[in-house]
Amino acid sequence: MKPGVFKNLRILFALAVAAVTIWSFMVPDAVGFQRPELARIFFWHFPCPMLATLLLILGAWFSFRFTSTKKLSFDVRAVACMELGYLFCILTMATGILFSYVQWGAWWQNDPRQTSFLMVLLIYAAYFGLRGAIADPVKRGLNSGVYALAALLPTMFLTFVFPRLPQVQSFHPSDSIMKGNIKGQYAYVVIAVLVLMVWLTVWMYRLRVRAGTLELNLEEVDDGLETNRGDTAGSTVVRPVRVPRES
Amino acid sequence: MEKAWIAVLRKEALSELRLRSSLITAILFAVFSVVCISFATYDLQISPQLGSGLLSLSMLFAAVISLPRVMLVEVESKTIDLLRLMGNPGDVFWGKAIYNLIFMAFTSIVLTLLFLGFTHVGVGNYALLAICMAGSSAAFAGTVTLCGALVTHASNQTALAGILSVPLLLPLSFLAVSGLRVALDVQGTFNAGNGMIAGLGLLSYGLATLAVGPYLFAVVWKR
Repeated sequence: MKPGVFKNLRILFALAVAAVTIWSFMVPDAVGFQRPELARIFFWHFPCPMLATLLLILGAWFSFRFTSTKKLSFDVRAVACMELGYLFCILTMATGILFSYVQWGAWWQNDPRQTSFLMVLLIYAAYFGLRGAIADPVKRGLNSGVYALAALLPTMFLTFVFPRLPQVQSFHPSDSIMKGNIKGQYAYVVIAVLVLMVWLTVWMYRLRVRAGTLELNLEEVDDGLETNRGDTAGSTVVRPVRVPRES
Repeated sequence: MEKAWIAVLRKEALSELRLRSSLITAILFAVFSVVCISFATYDLQISPQLGSGLLSLSMLFAAVISLPRVMLVEVESKTIDLLRLMGNPGDVFWGKAIYNLIFMAFTSIVLTLLFLGFTHVGVGNYALLAICMAGSSAAFAGTVTLCGALVTHASNQTALAGILSVPLLLPLSFLAVSGLRVALDVQGTFNAGNGMIAGLGLLSYGLATLAVGPYLFAVVWKR
């Protein structure tokens, strides 16, 4: 795509965000909220867990591709998904805590859904902890990829099964949209914000993958040249030795 | 000829019987945690809700501190490369996971008996208690064995194995608490059906972990 098209898309995106933000303050209040005027944070809160879960599944998928093919480009994609998923998890928690204060009167309500999503955040944090502890890129990709795959079962349980268990009583309404409590203009704003967030996610994902691919290419060039970057031994060392990467 | 996974299991058992380090650690942890709970609640009658939470958390941390050792000991004694050369990943996983399962089942029994003895919490449903312990032990064994294998190339292995295992095992604690609160409910306050759903969910979770484990283990084991 030409650079001019990208610039136009960016301007279009900025205008769309501005328009939807203004629209979100103009729609009539929704029913069923303690303080409906402040409940508009729902527009921005609602897409975050959806995108975080989707990105975690995509991250696991790319991890699976990496473990099958050992192509580092899949690891770059997996990390991009995981990083963005982590970001949306943090945004979910931040907007959720504000929403909780406004609607339920406390920053932290010990609500099972709040706690279960905090655990998803911990799983993401452990994934990055593992990546940080392994130096070799292939081993790092393999081990963190296996962890991402192993984490899929608990994440799906925490996101989809646990909130629906009969003994779990949550403040979170699970049928706001299904029962038609959110409808008309309000529902259109929800969909518009969701579309904008997906657009932003795709944009950030592409940028992150491009940056990761450039880093990979740079490492390959370094492997080939073994240039002196100022941190090797003194001038008496005259024969650089290429150390092949472990297979 | 002896099957390879049985040979790995026997090796783990013999090595544990020789040193007894994991067993002593787990049993001491069980005693310390129960004594601490008893000390902190000396003037309280522990309810089934609180008791189930305390018991499942004690089991979780007993597993996290003792189970990764089956993998980490191979790194410490520098036998991991030999095992990697000689052993099939599936056999190594099953040998170590079944050893961890037996170890964890034993630790759970000791921990539960100590907990019931020290805190005077009654048992309303023994079958459900046994299902919850079996399910928890299976899930702990599968998950912690895998996490132990993941950190063999990492720095700060013991701490990292715990950090990786706990988020994966915390969802289990929800199920364990739901099942155990019914199992420890002498007066029949809680819905027995919900408790059985949680117990069977726990068992299924444990079996799923053990079923997926060998495939994931094979990826990190073979280089």
